[in-house]
Amino acid sequence: MEIIEFARSPWGQDVPIHISFTLIWVCGIAGLAFLIGHAIYVKFMAKPEEFEVTPPELAAKVPEKIARHSLVSRLFHWVMAAAMFTLLFTAFLPKVGFPFAWVTYHWMAGLVLTASILFHLIHANFFLDPWAIWPDKTDIEDAKRRLLRARGEAVPAPRKFAKYPMENKMYHMIIVLTGLSVTITGFFMMFRVSTPFFTRNPYLFGDMTWGWMYVLHGLAGVGLIALIMAHVYFAIRPEKFAMTKSMVFGSIDREHFLEHHDPKRWVVTESSK
Amino acid sequence: MPTNKVNVPNYRFIGKNYTTPDMVAKVTGKSKYAEDFRAEGMLFCKLLLSPMPHARVKRIDASKALALPGVKGILTADELPPPAAFITDDGVMIPPDPRAERGLTNEPLYQGEPILAVAAVDEETAAAAIELIEIDFERLPFAVDPLVTLSPGGPNTRNEGNVWVVPPPAPPKPGERPAGPLLPDVKEFKWTDAEYAEYKQGKLPVSKPSMEWSYGDIDAGFKKADLVMDETFVTPNTSDQTLETRTAMAYWQNGKLFVHCSTQSTAQTVPAIARWMSMDTTNVVVISEYTGGGFGSKVTSGIILTVPALLSKKVNAPVMLRISREEEHFLGRARPGLHGRMKAGFTKDGRIVALDMFVVCDGGPYGPQGDANASGRIVSLCYTPENMRWRGINVITNTPPRGPQSQPGGAQGVMIMEPLLSNAARKLGLDQVAIRRINAPSGKAGIGPAIKGKRDHVTSAFVPEALDKGAELFRWNERKNQTKKSGTKARGIGVAVSAYSAGSIGFDGLFVIKPDGKIYVQTGIGNLGTEAMIDCQRVVAEVLGVPWERLEITWGSTAKHLPWSCPSGGSQTIHAMTRAAHAVSMDAKLKLQEIAAMDLGGKPEDYEVGGERVYRKGGGAGMSLAQAAQRAIKLGGKYDGHELPPEIAKMTKASATALAGQGLLAVAKDKYKRDGISNSYVAGFAEVEVDLETGTYRITDYVGVADVGTVIHPRAFGGQMFGRTSLGWGHALAQKWVYDQHYGAPLAKRFYQNRPPTILDVPVSNFKWAAVDIPDPETPVGARGIGEPPVGAGASAVLNALADALGEQIYRRAPVTADIILMALETGKPGDEPLTAHI
Amino acid sequence: MAVIRDVMPAFELFQPATTDDALALLAKYGSDAWVLAGGLDSFDWLKDRIKRPKVVVDMSQASGLRGIKEVNGGLEIGAMTTLTEVVRHPLVKEHFSLLAEGAELAASPQIRNQGTIGGNVSQDTRCWYYRSGWKCYRAGGNICFADTPTAINREHAILDADRCVAVNPSDSAPALIALDAQMVIRGPGGERVVNAQDYFVGPDINIMRMTVLKPNELLTAIRIPGTWGGAKFYFEKIRDRQVWDFPLVNVAAAMKVSGGKIDQIRIAVNGVAARPLRLTAVESAVIGKPADAATGEMAGKIAIQGAVALRFNAYKIPLLRNLVKRAIGGVQEAAWKS
Repeated sequence: MEIIEFARSPWGQDVPIHISFTLIWVCGIAGLAFLIGHAIYVKFMAKPEEFEVTPPELAAKVPEKIARHSLVSRLFHWVMAAAMFTLLFTAFLPKVGFPFAWVTYHWMAGLVLTASILFHLIHANFFLDPWAIWPDKTDIEDAKRRLLRARGEAVPAPRKFAKYPMENKMYHMIIVLTGLSVTITGFFMMFRVSTPFFTRNPYLFGDMTWGWMYVLHGLAGVGLIALIMAHVYFAIRPEKFAMTKSMVFGSIDREHFLEHHDPKRWVVTESSK
Repeated sequence: MPTNKVNVPNYRFIGKNYTTPDMVAKVTGKSKYAEDFRAEGMLFCKLLLSPMPHARVKRIDASKALALPGVKGILTADELPPPAAFITDDGVMIPPDPRAERGLTNEPLYQGEPILAVAAVDEETAAAAIELIEIDFERLPFAVDPLVTLSPGGPNTRNEGNVWVVPPPAPPKPGERPAGPLLPDVKEFKWTDAEYAEYKQGKLPVSKPSMEWSYGDIDAGFKKADLVMDETFVTPNTSDQTLETRTAMAYWQNGKLFVHCSTQSTAQTVPAIARWMSMDTTNVVVISEYTGGGFGSKVTSGIILTVPALLSKKVNAPVMLRISREEEHFLGRARPGLHGRMKAGFTKDGRIVALDMFVVCDGGPYGPQGDANASGRIVSLCYTPENMRWRGINVITNTPPRGPQSQPGGAQGVMIMEPLLSNAARKLGLDQVAIRRINAPSGKAGIGPAIKGKRDHVTSAFVPEALDKGAELFRWNERKNQTKKSGTKARGIGVAVSAYSAGSIGFDGLFVIKPDGKIYVQTGIGNLGTEAMIDCQRVVAEVLGVPWERLEITWGSTAKHLPWSCPSGGSQTIHAMTRAAHAVSMDAKLKLQEIAAMDLGGKPEDYEVGGERVYRKGGGAGMSLAQAAQRAIKLGGKYDGHELPPEIAKMTKASATALAGQGLLAVAKDKYKRDGISNSYVAGFAEVEVDLETGTYRITDYVGVADVGTVIHPRAFGGQMFGRTSLGWGHALAQKWVYDQHYGAPLAKRFYQNRPPTILDVPVSNFKWAAVDIPDPETPVGARGIGEPPVGAGASAVLNALADALGEQIYRRAPVTADIILMALETGKPGDEPLTAHI
Repeated sequence: MAVIRDVMPAFELFQPATTDDALALLAKYGSDAWVLAGGLDSFDWLKDRIKRPKVVVDMSQASGLRGIKEVNGGLEIGAMTTLTEVVRHPLVKEHFSLLAEGAELAASPQIRNQGTIGGNVSQDTRCWYYRSGWKCYRAGGNICFADTPTAINREHAILDADRCVAVNPSDSAPALIALDAQMVIRGPGGERVVNAQDYFVGPDINIMRMTVLKPNELLTAIRIPGTWGGAKFYFEKIRDRQVWDFPLVNVAAAMKVSGGKIDQIRIAVNGVAARPLRLTAVESAVIGKPADAATGEMAGKIAIQGAVALRFNAYKIPLLRNLVKRAIGGVQEAAWKS
């Protein structure tokens, strides 16, 4: 199967023009396979997670409700989610047999996504703890521990998480990569079509640069199909549902906190409310 | 089409209509063109064309193509003979030009230039093989718009620069022949920032020229002027678009190259092929019995024929190269578009006292085009400015090669001048015919620059007479007061004057009067559709007084012993070859008289030739042409061609030698004196009707009056008037090139996209032509060519009529299409973008 | 691999005797098949080696697709009926002269002798970038070469462009829309009938096709209802040459006028968008108004609402406006006869 589709340029050169659209199906099916596989794994094979025990004196200090996402953060998340779904549907539905006039909605949603990402960058960097979402040394050590324990080796139990579980952090990292790829390329691709913002100029870059830009946009785009599928899947998994609720209501309760989070690593203060 | 009576009463054949001997074949489809020939074991070849407008071939891998069953060989540019020097008929050595066009190239200079060719058993295989060739190019800077490459920092169109500079010939050393012209050089030229700023304001900047000439005192002329006009006008690039593309088939026999090709000039194509192939002329045979149009693009066929010729040699089989319509766009030549800036000073009564003309010629990639210079020469002749300066730049662009097209340069010059002249008349309150009449050439009018204070002059000009006759036929004075606007329609009338070269001298005639009493005329003229090839031979019948049916004409294959004839380009033929026909007829007449005197007594001048006999004046003894032919064979020597005059050309000598001994052989070179340069003239009158709501317009009426001396064949003449005027109309109506500037690629490559006029676009029933009917005094039968001047007249009369209907602020370029008119009417400003090429 | 734009490559030619056989071939060969009607659009593509079908299904021998018959006061025109036959047919001339006019202005006499009505309405765009074989949106690529800062787009769209700015070149299509014709389509699932204006598709919906015809379907007939028979018709085509030229803009209108007022009207234009446009806003605005110059002026202004000019096609806006004006208000004839 071809991953990239090439075309003959007016100068007779073979230039990439976009990904092969069968990748839509490939990623959709891969996403589906992953979540089915994961569900089976959790149900039948996974051992219950073991963590270091939280010292009771620390546990005692944890309030009944712990603020996890501010209203602003939640709004950002849902705006971004709406934009993302609009982008995915406008991008791929016409390619899989549901034609409609998608372009304007697509770039509009893209602009919303870009704006929300820009907002998020400022908000997270200047108003939140920017490092909270990036894996730290403990996360990496614990990841190793969990791996070794899964293989049955006797290593100390991993510590509980800080504000964000390791998977969450990894997911964020991948989303940052794909999201930036898709928005930056998408921004330039707006020059290829007519928008009210600037003169349409499909010759802003050379044929080859454009080609790879389309390929990157496409790869990130189909990647997002699988990533979003996984994201939605985890959001509705019962053991993660508390986190999903926190994305709606803003907080998690004490029980969930103590089960998953380490009060040493996620110091609940007034400012985190 | 009303046919005008030609007013030359004393001729029996000249000026009379008749049916040419090639006509039946043409109208019944029996005529064979290059493509119709087949040879045993013939292969077909196809071309690989450059996808880039300027590039260098880095790598060619043809292994897959050559492995394809049925593929017989490949030809690349590396296998072409190197450019060779050649010696003109006057003995001038033209040095080899490394920048000249060749059949194939490794450095394509325009999109569509042939890179290589593949020969295979059929075209399907050859085309499939082309697709299997892997080829890498290195892209080089390019421009398809001459003003883009002239802009500061603009890309160069050839590696060395972007304009042609022709160095002046070196002065001859004492006692030596003057040296030939030096090779044109390529230099880089860019506008200054100030010039660029002027261009950005929509005016063609008058920058430093690469060519310049003048006569009189232009500054003094402008001081005298009551009105000074300064206008920019842009003419289109138009493909010649002959119906027959330049298909060619070639094979070799005993070291001789046989080429079936499409050419305007049979004899003249032999040395051209010999030069391209670096071989001797005696080893080249050209076969071209019929040619489907040339218009200047096939004067000596086209260099692409070297591809099947060389492939044929390489694969040892006949090879046919059929050129598709799209390939013809690339290879078929085109008229170079001229950007003109014209400053003219007029006296109150309309006389042009000073003219300062500046042109930028979009010359394509090869060779400086003569159009630039010709535009100035023709303007100097048509409008006889008292003082004139002409300057120009020959710009190289990465677009298909240009070449001559009917009235090359002249048509553009007329199109640049005529709108300005019309505007001047309106400003001065003068009648359009009157302003042209006061500036019209008459008698031995001057043409071109003054060299050492002296200007060339024409053989004759009767343009005031043509204007008078045209104005009368068109009812100009009556019409100029007609209502201009009614309902959603506007109409206007326009007149234009046009001129162009119309004849060369010094070619040979050859025929044999055989013992069957018939006259076997040999001609090396091409049969390109004008019928001039046959019409010229009417002079033979006329001079010898034999019925036309007694002439057998042989043409179309240089294997058939043809004499050296003129190139059928620039409307030379009717002039040059009626002279040669006259000369050879006089040779025959003298030989007949001498034979008669020898056998029947008396002096040669006592005998008259006529009625298929030579007989004593006033009746009495005589002999038939058949008897004279027999006597000539017996006499031998000069009478049957065993002795030949020394001045005839090499090709004529060889042909006469081959024909010797078959009868009375007449052969002669045209040595008649001529004072001046032969030019013909047309005054065109047009009426247009414009739809003000759609911008469309129709030519509703047209009168063309030609000053061409004696009309030899009225029907052929009318055909030329209508055809060439239509070509001119095409330049006004819709015909053009379209290029994408980003990729340097043509977008209009087919008839429906280039839009040459169709029969429904031109006024068929409202087209009238006439001739002034005054013989040219500098040639025996008084005839000059007609193929050129109708073009500029046709285009400009229509443009002037449009301005008359709609006002001056409509257009600054041609063609003027509905969009231009409608936008002008909507916005009140000219509705075009004159300084952008190929839109 | 080099490109050559000449010599038609070999393909397998089928000449099915029935529509069913043709449909079976289309089902069998899928995207490898190419439907051939008159060939005037097809042969360009094939000879230029741009479209490379393995199989060509020539409909010229299929029975029942050619000819015109009267059905309930209307007409049913077989898709393979030539334009010349349409133009010359007495019933078309008598009752639906709008179609005769439009069809007669298409191409040239030779082309009309060979070209079919089905082909004329289903033909591909003539955008010269697309026709050069450049991989634009319409060819499956990701660019419109005709709408760039340097593009030459004098003949391109002013309305409803979406990435692609190509226009539909058909002359018969607007006439059929104005006559409220229906397109009869046969596919593997049987017959379906779509209104003429819904037969065409814009780039917003499908950037690679001009019509809703699926690759496994055939246009078999065009039905013209009797409704508009003998109405007041107007057709005008503006082109650069008087023959063998596609429209810059054309307009077709059918009007029923009583007491000087417009009772009913259908009006369509082509050459301005990727599909022929029925001007419903114009229709509703002029109903009940007199068929005169003032109504025409108003209609013209409505017609160009939303029009966007590219670099070289701004003229199409006044041209469309004036043609719509004329279609409703008539042409103010000159006093002289030329």
